Amino acid sequence: MRSYGAMAGKYLKQQRKRTILTIVGIVLSVALISALGTMGQTLKDNLIQNTKYERGAFYFGYDKPTPELYETLRKHVLVDQLGYYRTGERSPLENSIAVTVEEADGEALKLLPIHLYQGRLPTAPNELAVERWILDRLPGTPGLDGSARLVGPDGEQRDYRIVGILNNEKRSQVNGTSRAFTLADPASMPIDDKAILLLTLKSGVDISDQIDVFSKLNSSLFTNNTLLAYMGESGDDNLNTALAVIFGTLIGLVVLSTVAVIYNAFHIAVLERVRQFGLLRTLGATPAQIRNLVLREATVLSTIGVPVGLLIGWFGLWFALWLMTQAGLKILMMETFELTFHWWIFAGSFAIGYIAVYLAAWLPARKASSVSPVDAAKGAGGIVRESYRRARIPSLLYLAGVEGRMASNNIRRNRTKFRITTFSIVISIMLFIVFHYFTQQTLTMTTTTNEDDRIAFQLTRTAIPDENGMRPAAGELIPDEMASEIGALPGVEAVYGIYDRMVLPSLVPETKLNGDLLTDTAVRYEKTNLGGEGTHRVPTRVLLYDEARLKQAAKYLHSGTTDPEMLAEGDNVLLIQTVRPIQNSGKKRIMDMTRYRVGDRISVWTNSGSAGEEPEVHELTVAGILTESPFDASYQDSSLTIIGTQPTFVKLLEAAAGQYPPSEFDAERHGLEIALRDGADPEPIRAKLLDVARAHSGSNLIDYAENQKSARNFNVQMRIFVYGFLVVIGVIGSLNIVNTVQTNLLLRRREIGLLQAVGMTMGQIRKMATAEGIWFGVIGSFWGILLGVLMSSFLHKQLNTVQGFPFEFPWGASLIASGAALIVGLISVQGPLRKMEKANLLEELREEA
Amino acid sequence: MNVISVDGLSKSYGKGTTQVNALQDVSFQVNQGEFVAVVGASGSGKSTLLHLLGGLDKPSGGYVHIDGENLYAFKEKERAVFRRRKIGFIFQSYNLIPVLNVEENIQLPLLLDHRQPDKAYLNDLIRTLGLHERRKHLPSELSGGQQQRVAIGRALAYRPAIILADEPTGNLDSANGREVIELLKLSVRQYHQTVIIITHDMSIAAEADRVLHLQDGRLQSDTRSLGRGV
Repeated sequence: MRSYGAMAGKYLKQQRKRTILTIVGIVLSVALISALGTMGQTLKDNLIQNTKYERGAFYFGYDKPTPELYETLRKHVLVDQLGYYRTGERSPLENSIAVTVEEADGEALKLLPIHLYQGRLPTAPNELAVERWILDRLPGTPGLDGSARLVGPDGEQRDYRIVGILNNEKRSQVNGTSRAFTLADPASMPIDDKAILLLTLKSGVDISDQIDVFSKLNSSLFTNNTLLAYMGESGDDNLNTALAVIFGTLIGLVVLSTVAVIYNAFHIAVLERVRQFGLLRTLGATPAQIRNLVLREATVLSTIGVPVGLLIGWFGLWFALWLMTQAGLKILMMETFELTFHWWIFAGSFAIGYIAVYLAAWLPARKASSVSPVDAAKGAGGIVRESYRRARIPSLLYLAGVEGRMASNNIRRNRTKFRITTFSIVISIMLFIVFHYFTQQTLTMTTTTNEDDRIAFQLTRTAIPDENGMRPAAGELIPDEMASEIGALPGVEAVYGIYDRMVLPSLVPETKLNGDLLTDTAVRYEKTNLGGEGTHRVPTRVLLYDEARLKQAAKYLHSGTTDPEMLAEGDNVLLIQTVRPIQNSGKKRIMDMTRYRVGDRISVWTNSGSAGEEPEVHELTVAGILTESPFDASYQDSSLTIIGTQPTFVKLLEAAAGQYPPSEFDAERHGLEIALRDGADPEPIRAKLLDVARAHSGSNLIDYAENQKSARNFNVQMRIFVYGFLVVIGVIGSLNIVNTVQTNLLLRRREIGLLQAVGMTMGQIRKMATAEGIWFGVIGSFWGILLGVLMSSFLHKQLNTVQGFPFEFPWGASLIASGAALIVGLISVQGPLRKMEKANLLEELREEA
Repeated sequence: MNVISVDGLSKSYGKGTTQVNALQDVSFQVNQGEFVAVVGASGSGKSTLLHLLGGLDKPSGGYVHIDGENLYAFKEKERAVFRRRKIGFIFQSYNLIPVLNVEENIQLPLLLDHRQPDKAYLNDLIRTLGLHERRKHLPSELSGGQQQRVAIGRALAYRPAIILADEPTGNLDSANGREVIELLKLSVRQYHQTVIIITHDMSIAAEADRVLHLQDGRLQSDTRSLGRGV
């Protein structure tokens, strides 16, 4: 040994078990932080990719550009890509359908959300990419590489060669107007009111700062809000700040827990040797020398632990995703959801790992260096002088007999160790609750949650009047047998009927209206006096649900019933009173607009209510309340939704016949919506539906299966990834608890040996350790849930800036986390105890001599 | 020549009614090369005195001068350095560092001072202590007597002026205890070191040059053995 510093290495080598436990602690923490960093970044990257796909890759654009603006932008030093796009003239086709040829230059084709299904994008002004559904309706029904004569962007008829087929868009089919794209001729790109310029800025430019500058160039600037928000570059500074605070909090939490876990692992190891450090002091070691020794140990441990942690974090994640794809999730096209590698995460985790270890070593090192040499010299076998606090109130553990009493004494005997152990449980539980809360809210915000995202096809009555301005006749379009035949096709999840709907005012008494709606939003309703009571005239959508729809509605039931038979009785209806109005602050917030309960009566005003007319009121009974709309938009801005079955709807139609004449409105099925299972092949279903559509004149197939599939896949992948995220947090949290509990127990081998020596049986020791474990779990859960809920509510406040919704106490996450902590704690004491049972008692007593 | 000078040394713990006076107004001098035994009942203040002489604790009152230096005028770090150069400690419970072998334990005070040990002296010391065969063994592989000899070796490694021994034979059988005392006497003779030893064993006290008798924290008597001077 050449220097006293070599003692650090010798200690680590000889106390291999302790060293390994400490390294495991460091590895876990660094793995946690690098895995979470990678997952968070991957999530963000994929959200950005998805937004670019859905809404385009441009940062902002101008919808009333001038030629001068175009020139300025073309020469602008900060502009990276500049795209030109111009809407064209309608080319009317048969059956009131039309196609518009729009021109875009090469950059705009890249920046716009254009989704190629087959072929390629146009590379010449005579080439065209068209939507798939319009292909059959173009003159001469050309296929890919065929040609069609259409009105060009300049208003002239032209022959176009079809080089690409685009995915079907729902809106274009409903409107009956399809968009086709051709390449803009560089020689003639008129910059007028019909043109739009799209652009991105060079990387490294602060986009949010530049928005103001660029809007001064031309006032018609519009932004790609969602994309900029995900990039943290929204023009809305509040949003940027909120996002920064949210992610800062999450990263801070993870860093805090990393430091805490490493600190725990190190602190326990140092605490156990405080006497040894004291002995060195009696030999004349200075406090600085003692600190130096501890820091040397820290260097060795972090040099091993940090790189291993980084590797395990990355490969663990990679392996988890690999397992997911292997476990039959391939159908979800996981390859579109890529694990992205970022150096800054690795460098950051590396730095945090080292800093955490030194921070964790510094405090115990200071403690070790300040140990009184007298205490060290005095203690003949005792480790640290422990301050035992007499209990003022007998612990609940006393109920567990002498073992419980021992456990209670053990816990109180060493407050520091108690705090360290509890702290790591608290951290694990808190992390789980907060991340569970955050991920759930993120899912609600970034993905659509209702049944609409499974619907791939609509088979409807042609909505557009024919050449003579006649709407197709009312009445049932698709017979029941046909609907059930479609429902039986492989891959079809459900077939829902499409029905007429009404909008009628409900008369909501003052007492039933949520006051917040009037104070926090600009929503106001006209007041009407009904039977001497002042009421608000609240617009109410009245919908008809068939059994298939009601079956889905059950998933969204808040209270009451969705049973079709119950709803068919009397005037029973379902009510959706949760809305998302724009608040005075400009943000949307989810809230209940009324306070109806199951069994309450709702008064619907069925006649037109024009001046002098006596109001006719139809009363309905609330049989069930839904949390959100199972179909179409999840939330309305400021209107109620009433859902009835056919008998109720018929009665309402009769009552409202003045506004909804029987010649135009009925309770018959006018079409179908077809929902697909995840991973279903839409091709055979499409073929069948096309046959049906052809066989029924006046019917129209709206096909958006491709877009539905990619949107649905993204939602499912987000879900899997988010749950994977939670599993990683759960696993690492559990390992953290296992490590702390086991370290704690293994370091007490000698003490437990002593207890055995004075006659405690292994059974009693097990009972004692179990009682301690449960107590740690209970106390840890209490603080963990408390802090977790507080942090969640803090995040909720921040998220509210992005999108408003009520705060819900995270019961589920709290129960899962504390239950898991208890079980993990109890299971993890079993291993070391079994080992101690097998070990030689005398050896253990000698070990520390 | 006075190597240790103790003047009005007091040490009390606690405050008010719970105050315990472990040491009260103790004064004496020790000459270089003296072998001094401190005796007294349990709780009479023997260990407190030894800790104060070694600069491990701080007195409530009075002074300790070693080689003319006021021990408690030093700062913490200076006192630590002074201690490793001038004072060797031997404890009843050996207090060896479990992860270091015999040789390393003995060298430790030198290494703490960033000095390389004098090989010849070290070998000589290890041989004298009868530990030559066991120089690479860990403390856990040694008997009690051997461990205490290692502790003595560690106290002698720096050739300190003063050796403070707190019941060094308390955990040993009589043969091993005898051996330890002989080694300490040898160091007095050979290196002209000063030894202060706490003991309950009156036969050991009888071999000392001086016996300080403590009772209830006060120096009861200071007896010199006639004709036993070195």
